[in-house]
Amino acid sequence: MSIVSASLDHAGRPDRALNADALAADARRESRGLLALLSPGLFLVFAVIIVPIGWLFWLSLFDETGQLSAANYARFFEQASYIKTFVTTFKVAFIVTGACVLFGYPLAYMLSQLPRRAASICLIFVILPFWTSVLVRTYAWLVILQRKGLVNSWLIDLGVIGQPLPLANNFSGVVIGMTHIMLPFLVLPLYASMKTIDVDCLRAGMNLGASPAATFRQIFFPLSLPGLASGVVIVFVLCLGFFVTPALMGGGKVIMWAMRMEQTTSLYSNWGAGAALGVVLLGFTLALLGLFQWLLGARATGVWSQR
Amino acid sequence: MTKRLCIHGLTVAGLLASVAVPASAADTITVASWGGTYQEAQTKAFFDPTAKDLGITIKQDTTNGLDDVRLQVTGNAVKWDITELGADECARGSKEGLFEKLDYSVIDKSGINPKLVHDDWVGISYTSVVLIYRTDVFGDKGPKTWADFWNVEKFPGRRALSGSQATETLSVAALAKGIPIDKVYPVDIDGALQSVDKVKGHIDAWWTSGAQAMQLVKDGEVDMASIWNGRAGTLKKSGAPVSFSFDQGVLTADCMVIPKGSKNKDVAMKALAKFVSPDLQANLPLYVDNGPANEKAFETGKIPPERIKDINSAPENVKKQVLQDPAFWRDTLVEATEKFNNLIQQ
Amino acid sequence: MLLSLAQSALPIAIGGIEKRFGGVSVLHDLGLDVAAGEFLTLLGPSGSGKTTLLMILAGFVRANAGSIKVGGEEIITMPPHKRNIGMVFQNYALFPHMNVFHNIAFPLKQRRVSATETAERVERALDLVQLKGLGERRVDQLSGGQRQRVALARAIVFEPRIVLMDEPLSALDKSLREHMQIELRNLHRRLGMTTVYVTHDQREAITMSDRIAVMNAGRIEQIDQPEVLYAKPQTKFVAGFIGESNFVPVECRNGSVWYEDRKLRMTTAAPSAGRHLMVVRPEKLRLINGEQSGDVNALPATVGDVIYQGDSFVCYATLRDGRQVTLRDYCRSDVLAKLPGPGEPITLGIDAQDVVLVADQ
Ligand SMILES: Nc1ncnc2c1ncn2[C@@H]1O[C@H](COP(=O)(O)OP(=O)(O)O)[C@@H](O)[C@H]1O
Ligand SMILES: [Mg+2]
Repeated sequence: MSIVSASLDHAGRPDRALNADALAADARRESRGLLALLSPGLFLVFAVIIVPIGWLFWLSLFDETGQLSAANYARFFEQASYIKTFVTTFKVAFIVTGACVLFGYPLAYMLSQLPRRAASICLIFVILPFWTSVLVRTYAWLVILQRKGLVNSWLIDLGVIGQPLPLANNFSGVVIGMTHIMLPFLVLPLYASMKTIDVDCLRAGMNLGASPAATFRQIFFPLSLPGLASGVVIVFVLCLGFFVTPALMGGGKVIMWAMRMEQTTSLYSNWGAGAALGVVLLGFTLALLGLFQWLLGARATGVWSQR
Repeated sequence: MTKRLCIHGLTVAGLLASVAVPASAADTITVASWGGTYQEAQTKAFFDPTAKDLGITIKQDTTNGLDDVRLQVTGNAVKWDITELGADECARGSKEGLFEKLDYSVIDKSGINPKLVHDDWVGISYTSVVLIYRTDVFGDKGPKTWADFWNVEKFPGRRALSGSQATETLSVAALAKGIPIDKVYPVDIDGALQSVDKVKGHIDAWWTSGAQAMQLVKDGEVDMASIWNGRAGTLKKSGAPVSFSFDQGVLTADCMVIPKGSKNKDVAMKALAKFVSPDLQANLPLYVDNGPANEKAFETGKIPPERIKDINSAPENVKKQVLQDPAFWRDTLVEATEKFNNLIQQ
Repeated sequence: MLLSLAQSALPIAIGGIEKRFGGVSVLHDLGLDVAAGEFLTLLGPSGSGKTTLLMILAGFVRANAGSIKVGGEEIITMPPHKRNIGMVFQNYALFPHMNVFHNIAFPLKQRRVSATETAERVERALDLVQLKGLGERRVDQLSGGQRQRVALARAIVFEPRIVLMDEPLSALDKSLREHMQIELRNLHRRLGMTTVYVTHDQREAITMSDRIAVMNAGRIEQIDQPEVLYAKPQTKFVAGFIGESNFVPVECRNGSVWYEDRKLRMTTAAPSAGRHLMVVRPEKLRLINGEQSGDVNALPATVGDVIYQGDSFVCYATLRDGRQVTLRDYCRSDVLAKLPGPGEPITLGIDAQDVVLVADQ
């Protein structure tokens, strides 16, 4: 009886292929299962990222009296110090990122050319600072760079300089300290991407008549760009939100955005004042990431290939 | 039937709770202060004797200031029963309604400067901002007044002022203009800012913490600075070549409050009364350089006479200093600080 | 322009090459001459030093001793980019950040060839490797075979004196590989560049090469034309590596060669006294009746198994000394008619002219 009805069913609906419904149901079950597996992660993202950021944004829209207002944002234009802080923040981020590239690229290149054993030993030295706190490292730089610090005493003892160089408690102190702290964030992704460059590509370059310098310029360097780009993005974004080093090494004259957030949060009785700073920083960071993404995306579509 | 059981259950739970509160929870209060050696001194001077006298347990925590209180109160998660704040923070928090009213029938306010006695906060101790200079640079002919500090020709050298405490720096800036100590308040903010503007090109560091101020002077990174007297005393005791006095110091008070919503308000009130009593107040200078807020402490005979002259709130020393007015800064802090920040930033 | 290669092809004279990697000797006193325009294959098992030799030729690996002369000019210390030698790498080594056109134009750019001429030559090279119109493609959009062709075009577009190829077809599937073998062969015929080709595939070597140098453990065992190499292997290694071989132990005494109690008939002179191996290719053996006669040597044996393969059959037989030999023959009807069954005694015949002896190491 059931066999008959089943065959009738088939005969009655010739457009349904064999087991199509069961297979579709199976596919749905699979994607539901996948979603179920993802849901703790999605929930976490929602709870620890979306909600607080939404809340931050919401808060930034209220003034001290709890009224909906743009006062927290208007302040950035009324008080020149916010613009200054903003400019300082980007200036520091640019210079530190530049310094990281300047020191990090040759370092990563050297590491990538070393035999594996030697490279992993050197890599430990690159990673080592990660194991000490930023605070400790910054104080160490203070000891090294200040007026009566190691560098100045040596240079004066050697007679290289008569007056101590102003290395700490100013802009250069911030840049030196931050460059040191950010360097591994540039070197590690760069090194990883350099390691994936096929030696045969470089050999092919030379074989085809390019001098070692030309091979570096035309093959190695372009192939290392994705790693360089991700390192630059990481360093730049981290710089934008940096607090400890500029606070300790800047002598109070180099005020970066995160320091401003701290000041503002304790100065104003409404959270919105600080929240607005957070929203602005987040906005600029996202915009920058978007820009980088666009540039890197363009590379994949061939704009960067040589013409 | 089910409903009645429910109500019944709730009543029982309520009864149990009301019985349980005085028996155990009220025995314990939590007090938050700034941590470090200051809080250790307070523990010996105030907390331990109070706990013993009242037969309660005092748990301790540390605070970062008004933000923390605001977060607890506005978030309905009050952990502390008493917390210490700077006096200007107290004034601002009071305006925001973050604190419980104090019961001055429990707390004896006599001996405390009336400027530090308010509905919902009361002074607990004093810190002074003093001028410190390195004797290895200036001998004993260093800058003695803020006018000297501002005089870069007569006293060449590297300088640091507080960048985080605009109120204190503006006060010393007013003094630097030659304003007598009893005329500093109310501060002419624009005048003080002009004064800061004059010296800012010669300031090598704007410190943001007491530790940083100390480190700057200790390492010779600067030759003169404004600094908190506690830090200055520590430096001197450690043998650093420094000199400072209370002349033209700026006295800033710390206060204590009961955050709004404290669950042990009554016990906290009793404890706070103990903290500000002359007897316990007199303990404080035995352990730390922050002077007692209650001047009757100096009449208890507990403090050795040779110690009294080093205490910033001793009557002799108070005369040489400006007392910072919390009420003034309550209303002007934001604007003054924004202008100040604008001025000192590179 | 590409067709002018034939005139510019140069001979290579390699001599006394020594190479050690950290004390381990990889090439021993290696010498090799490649004629101008010749297609020479280095054939050997993996690890025999083929790639190392090629890298030394291209200049990427520094030899410990030796000489490489191209057209009489010593290049052993010349940096790679000045050697003017084209190379096709095993994994192609195309530049992933450039499209097909720029990959092929790369060597021309280094030589400052004008834009119009570059476009022209790249176009012709693309045409030559049958990739017309694919210049704008990204490298990762190409199939394996197409990449192979781009690599080839890039290696010849600048008209190098010599082209080196290191197992260029090993990543391709079988049918494509066979197709490319013929294409490469034809390309070489047209362009006539001196080519050193590396493979471990003996069929590929035989199909493509003018001559094959068989390498083993850092030495060249034998260099010959493929048919000579096959017919007259000089060592047991060569005989075993190229084609299938049965090895039959023989002994030389009193100026003649003996298999057990039979004197072998052969057309070459007897070697030195002592033990040797007779190399017998399966297809050189045939089934004969009775005793050896005329120029045929007879080897009595017992049939183990007969496997029918359609066009041919394989017969596994055991010689009287217990040694297994293989016989292969086509399925002609006269042969099929007298196919023995398992266990039957048979006599295997080998012509005197097919007898090849190698030293028994
Ligand atoms: N860079 C190197 N370092 C150490 N040994 C190597 C190196 N390159 C090759 N060899 C060794 O040299 C021998 C020959 O290698 P290779 O030339 O790659 O052989 P083939 O290409 O014939 O497979 C191998 O034993 C190999 O392990
Ligand atoms: Mg190889």
